[in-house]
Amino acid sequence: MASKFGLAGGIPERRVRPIWDAIDSRQFKNALKLLTSLLSKYPKSPYALALKALIHERMGKPDEALTVCLDAKELLYKDDSSLMDDLTLSTLQIVFQRLDHLDLATGCYAHACGRFPNNLELMMGLFNCYVREYSFVKQQLTAIKMYKLAGEERFLLWAVCSIQLQVLCDKSGEKLLLLAEGLLKKHIASHSMHEPEALMVYISLLEQQSKYKDALEVLSGNLGSLLVIEVDKLRIQGRLLARARDYSAAVDVYKKILELSPDDWECFLQYLSCLFEDDSMWKFFDDIDQIHPTKNIECKFSHLTEEMFDSRISSASELVQKLQRDTENSNLRGPHLAEIEIEKRKFLYGKKNDSELLKSLLQYFLKFGHLACYASDVEAFLQVLPPHKKAEFVGMLVENADSVSASATTVLGQTTTILKVQELTGNIFELPLGEIEASAVKLAKLYCQNLPLSKDLDPQESMFGEELLSLINNMLVQLYWRTRDFCYLAEAIMVLELGLAIRGHVWQYKILLLHIYSYIGALPLAFERYKALDVKNILTETVSHHILRQMLESPMWVDLYNLLQDYLKFMDDHLKESADLTFLAYRHRNYSKVIEFVLFKQRLQQSNQYEAARVEASLLQLKQNADSIEEEERVLENLKSGVQLVELSNEMGSRTLRFNEDMQTRPWWTPCPEKNYLLGSFEDFSYCPKENVNKDREENVKRSIQRKSLLPRMVYLSIQCSATALKESLETKGSGGDLKTCEELKSLLEEYTKTLGSSFSDAVEMITEISQGARTFETLGSDLVDWLNFAVFWNAWSLSSQEHWHVLNMLFERLILDRIKSMGSSEMSSCYSDVQVLVQIITEPLAWHSLIIQACTRSSLPSGKKKKKAQHSDHLPSSPMSQAIKDSIHSLCSTVQEVSNWLLNKINNPEDDQVERFLTTLKRNEGPGQVLGVLESFIATSEESEVGSRIFESLKTWSKADSARKTVTAQQRVLREFLQICESKRKLLEKLKQQMTHV
Amino acid sequence: MVCIRRATVDDLLAMQACNLMCLPENYQMKYYLYHILSWPQLLYVAEDYNGRIVGYVLAKMEEESNECHGHITSLAVLRTHRKLGLATKLMTAAQAAMEQVYGAEYVSLHVRRSNRAAFNLYTETLGYQINDVEAKYYADGEDAYDMRKNLKGKQIHHHHGGGGHAHHHHGAGCCSGDAKEAEDAKATSSK
Repeated sequence: MASKFGLAGGIPERRVRPIWDAIDSRQFKNALKLLTSLLSKYPKSPYALALKALIHERMGKPDEALTVCLDAKELLYKDDSSLMDDLTLSTLQIVFQRLDHLDLATGCYAHACGRFPNNLELMMGLFNCYVREYSFVKQQLTAIKMYKLAGEERFLLWAVCSIQLQVLCDKSGEKLLLLAEGLLKKHIASHSMHEPEALMVYISLLEQQSKYKDALEVLSGNLGSLLVIEVDKLRIQGRLLARARDYSAAVDVYKKILELSPDDWECFLQYLSCLFEDDSMWKFFDDIDQIHPTKNIECKFSHLTEEMFDSRISSASELVQKLQRDTENSNLRGPHLAEIEIEKRKFLYGKKNDSELLKSLLQYFLKFGHLACYASDVEAFLQVLPPHKKAEFVGMLVENADSVSASATTVLGQTTTILKVQELTGNIFELPLGEIEASAVKLAKLYCQNLPLSKDLDPQESMFGEELLSLINNMLVQLYWRTRDFCYLAEAIMVLELGLAIRGHVWQYKILLLHIYSYIGALPLAFERYKALDVKNILTETVSHHILRQMLESPMWVDLYNLLQDYLKFMDDHLKESADLTFLAYRHRNYSKVIEFVLFKQRLQQSNQYEAARVEASLLQLKQNADSIEEEERVLENLKSGVQLVELSNEMGSRTLRFNEDMQTRPWWTPCPEKNYLLGSFEDFSYCPKENVNKDREENVKRSIQRKSLLPRMVYLSIQCSATALKESLETKGSGGDLKTCEELKSLLEEYTKTLGSSFSDAVEMITEISQGARTFETLGSDLVDWLNFAVFWNAWSLSSQEHWHVLNMLFERLILDRIKSMGSSEMSSCYSDVQVLVQIITEPLAWHSLIIQACTRSSLPSGKKKKKAQHSDHLPSSPMSQAIKDSIHSLCSTVQEVSNWLLNKINNPEDDQVERFLTTLKRNEGPGQVLGVLESFIATSEESEVGSRIFESLKTWSKADSARKTVTAQQRVLREFLQICESKRKLLEKLKQQMTHV
Repeated sequence: MVCIRRATVDDLLAMQACNLMCLPENYQMKYYLYHILSWPQLLYVAEDYNGRIVGYVLAKMEEESNECHGHITSLAVLRTHRKLGLATKLMTAAQAAMEQVYGAEYVSLHVRRSNRAAFNLYTETLGYQINDVEAKYYADGEDAYDMRKNLKGKQIHHHHGGGGHAHHHHGAGCCSGDAKEAEDAKATSSK
């Protein structure tokens, strides 16, 4: 039955090879030709059919491929004499997988294994199928069978891994672990164990069951020799001892590790935990869910008497001093940082040793303060200090910075460090404006002075003083925030653009620029800077938060579409392909990686951004097609009328969401996508460190996904309700709409208001009062667009009520016109957040409402062929509802016209004038503009011999006017895109107005 | 410096974030996964004192002409953490694992001709020598030095494969499980 030598699926290899070659070189037509001749000779060969299916699939004919595959499968099942080899099955498997029919592939293998129960190759194929399906129980059973058949260690380990996965992912009973342990024990007794990875699995299995002592025994026994790297073994030993609460033994092990590698920080922390008999660290390690987990661990001391604490801390001090002596001549930071850690523990214990703690931090500064990593090294220590101590510390640094004897690079490094510490502690936000400004000017001078140091560096190397420009930028943005003087922001742009001209790869500059450009509405430029970050692959998951939200709220639909598609494609592909990679780990016997990898896949699958992006991609399609009800209906049909998204919304409450975004790279003023301090006032601000922003996000993100995923269905139902409403109101004066549809819409509206933190009736009251001016729209807060969406669908649910139409019209008018009025003739740079809200109102609630009107009018119009000849005779009598529709169209039309007018007014402003205005803000004699002044005079006087040809060239070619023009052009483009949307809406409404004259 | 430890799959997120910050090359996710799932012993990260990944080394095993050898695929250290000896530590860890776990005889790598800093690290600190020049090796057309360093070529310490069973290996790739077995065979025949 299995393939014989020289035979492939029962067909001579020489006949098959050319077909595979043709497939591999993508000559599918040729492949098909060869295959047809092969099939004429072997018409009943499942292998030949599988090949045919594969070719069809590759040619983009999935339906044909599936039919052929099913034929092949039938042959396999029916014909007892037919060949059932792995080659045929694996070829079929490939096609089935690509057609998203994993179950069929599994079925084939299961059938084959049933027929030939002792064939290891087929069983391996079946195991692989279960791996692809993440069917851990079936994996386990198959692996056990293979183990029994072949007695190989690896098959047993496959089974054990499958058991661990059941416990970890399916939350199956932990009793299973006992079974796995028994299996391994039995195997070891008879065959011993041969692979280090197998040993790791065994130990982790025991650890999962809290059998630390048993694990220790295994490790110190014969099997322990499988681990060849000594430190690795010691680390495991230390961990097991600590978890077994054998703290004194653990301390000895950790000491040993520290002597071998004195710079191992994690080990030092574990050493301290054991010394203080504190198990909180292990809890911490079990719970890591951030891209950069914080290691600011809580310390427990309450169980120690003061005497105990003192004696242990002094033994820790002794060890640290010894480590410092041993490493005196190297530049290891660990042993010195350990000293600070000891002072910190004392401080937390209540020893009132704050001055010692500060002193140790200062000592560390004197040794390592010139390094770029100083600030992040000490961040966790500074956090325990009260604000006035933090300020005192900054003062100490300034006083002690070496400005006389040290080299230029040391001075530069230390100055940069002090600024970073000021940022880190929030101290910088307490300084008077003048001081910040002076400091920024000083830094600019420092940057210029030190440019010659980078003269001979390779272009990809980090430049001296590179960070200064980011720090200057942070100060300028703060100055803008506190004074609202746009010049500071313009200056910030110039500083960073100049920086990029000199060093094109600096990602910090790009990210800072991206956020400033986003804030002032120069979105195309922000997107350009984002693209320059070269975000690909998994970075789309961790980095795209920088731009995604702004794009979602913009009229830049084409770029947004690409952004979403790239991201979703990466995630979908990964989730689809990751199972194949899991098998790679099984095959290479890297069992611990199997587990890690499956959990990692889960982590990506549960990504909040992924869920949100999928919903947004659907919404984008709806927005893009909303001006034509026919197109919209097609989109809705593809979205299964929104049913699946409603399911997602219902499930969201019980879902686990993961946050994989790297928020630490965001600028201070927008620590997460939902927050932008620049939109509020400085007075309301209280500095908070960037850490753990994701924690607060979970509830909001969940609710937002819940809410948005209801929209497509609500659009669909509203269209259904409207389709009959007008006709019915004209004919029978009924309430309109099909009852069941209306009921569903009502229940979705209730769900929707729940996510807004309100009940249905309260929500109705709220919007009614706002429309009447009895409440201000500020009450709606940042969910304004969502409330308007509610109002639209609420009206669709009760179309026959003229009052509801009126409330809705008033809401649109008020919210839009008020905003236009408040924007007045402001520059785009200072009112972009208002423009963003307008974009959302026009492209969401207003678009949905126009759709509903389209649905109403369509139903009232004579349909199809009789339309033309019957136009006049078919006049329907006017009804209160048709009047309401007419009024609404009228109101929307003039409101949208107002938006267009405002936009036109901006767009017609000559670009040159705008550039000129931008540049004049930068020319001042005092206040803002000084930093740029410093940089410009340096550019004017610098010489090639001083800064090197590369830097010289960049300095000379950089142009302030260019940057200004690019900004203005980008802003204009956003306005034009928005105008286009408004115009298209207005045309639609005009058309509807025309149609309604016949009603 | 800092804690040099084996990478976990979860570390991939932070490792690729490093790439954003320091490397023009940005490999496909699959390539990282291929490495970590095949030779997890050869991936190390440098974790800084506050838990951030600030550097990593990505390496693999290759078997050509009967000489099992390691290859450094990628080495990265954040700009903020350069000149602290991190790269040397990462490289030393990966080389030691190649030698001790897989019994590699030598280790190879490619470096851009223009990358003087890296070239100096490889030749002066780590003892690599130029083996060849590969013209237009990089996507942008730059040449690469093909560099090598001999390892002591210790015999590997563990054996597996359990008593001469025939193993089934699917298709692609070299080394890893297969290479370990090849080494096993060598070790046995030389006894």
